[in-house]
Amino acid sequence: MIRTALTRAPAALLLLFSLASLPAPALADEPVLTRRALELRDGAGDGARSLAALPARAALTRLDGRQGAWVQVRTAAGATGWVHMFDLAPASGAGSDNSAGSSATGALRGVTGLFGGGGVRQAGTTAGIRGLGAEDIANAQPNPRALEQVAGWRQGEGDARAFAQQSGLQPVTVEPLPAPARAASRTGGGDPAGREMP
Amino acid sequence: MNRALHARLLAGAAALLLSATAAAQDPTRALGGLLRSITPGNVLNLPGAAQPGAATTDLLQMLAESVDRIDETRELEIGRQLASVLLGSKPLHPDVALQRYVNRLGRWVSLQSARPQLPWTFAVLDDPGFNAFAAPGGFVFVTKGLVDRVDEAELAGILAHEITHVTRRHHLQALGAKARAGLATQALTSRLRNDLGGAVSAQMLSLGRNLYASGLDQSDEFEADREGVALAARAGFDPYGLPAVLQQLRTAAPDNPLFTLTLSTHPAPQQRLEQLETAMGSRLDAFAGKPPVPIAHRLRQR
Repeated sequence: MIRTALTRAPAALLLLFSLASLPAPALADEPVLTRRALELRDGAGDGARSLAALPARAALTRLDGRQGAWVQVRTAAGATGWVHMFDLAPASGAGSDNSAGSSATGALRGVTGLFGGGGVRQAGTTAGIRGLGAEDIANAQPNPRALEQVAGWRQGEGDARAFAQQSGLQPVTVEPLPAPARAASRTGGGDPAGREMP
Repeated sequence: MNRALHARLLAGAAALLLSATAAAQDPTRALGGLLRSITPGNVLNLPGAAQPGAATTDLLQMLAESVDRIDETRELEIGRQLASVLLGSKPLHPDVALQRYVNRLGRWVSLQSARPQLPWTFAVLDDPGFNAFAAPGGFVFVTKGLVDRVDEAELAGILAHEITHVTRRHHLQALGAKARAGLATQALTSRLRNDLGGAVSAQMLSLGRNLYASGLDQSDEFEADREGVALAARAGFDPYGLPAVLQQLRTAAPDNPLFTLTLSTHPAPQQRLEQLETAMGSRLDAFAGKPPVPIAHRLRQR
């Protein structure tokens, strides 16, 4: 909205408007940078053959393909291969500004000027189409009829288990992921007190 | 942020002032009297106060004092009201097969959660935006725009994130904090104007709207990401579904009107990804790498 727009670089706004006629948000083809030196691989996994060694901060284009943690990218030289998704940061630097935790991300901020600082490349704003917004919430009146309708769509435990079986889904044992020891230090702007994690 | 502290300081004043306003309120209207089944407490049961009024005010008072006072029955009542408000923001998507699919998928994920026996209820809102919401007691809503942009493991990751908000009672925590601050404000206003009919139910509605427009505590979002990833993996899905969705979100401009609310109510996607990277490392990589299943493909199977 207006406040957000005002904080953005004028160049970014110009770009945004020029992209505003794109038909739909394109969510691949994101310009990204490597967060560390790594191998470009010819398949999804550390075991796949190395195609090239990429330095940290190499400019890549993220493509559509994903297999688990691995995503397909194209290098500036035109080679296509796979890298781990956590090894990529947005070239725009969007979203990293509050994070003091990653030196790699910090280093990347030097190049944000190039893109204007806000995921501009992917704006893809379809003119006139907007999603559920704060004003829809602000004007929402309780809808008990819809509430009744969704209650009718509820599925029982047996339905869910049948779905899993048909879909080849098996429950597996997964240990809880550890809460970061100092989660608050990277939350920027959040409530550093937070609540105690168990 | 010192909002929580501020709220705590105001809570005492709110408790005192509420008793002056309870009698003037008519809570049976705005939310269809859903709260009438809640047993009234004694805090505001003043002589002359309408009984349902005491009930509604009592629930808010309980939330303001401590979320621990909200048992599962009350949690479900609050959830029904908040879900009713959310369902007032956009219509339901008319594709019943899609609604049933999302319910089966979500119910399967919820079965692996810490609260498998809640009456889990999922729905798709007919909206082109990219968003997901939860309400206490097991309500989870996603927009059609989101469903159209993800595969099954990614949707499972989102549902698992929302399910975690429910199992961890994040909304009740947030509502409690808002009630502490909001009740004080409301009570003062009511006293000044001296005659505000329907203020209590309107207040619950107002707290709910405020909650969904402003979002949850950042640390709760990180927790829902972390536990959601593990939960989706437990249900047999690729654990990188949720991180992949966050990568999609990262590419969206904050003022893209399809993403505005999601981005404004959550920590920055790259920050969430970095938190997840720290938590996940390569711990779940053994569960990753399953071929993606398009939702359209799954719907055709049935």
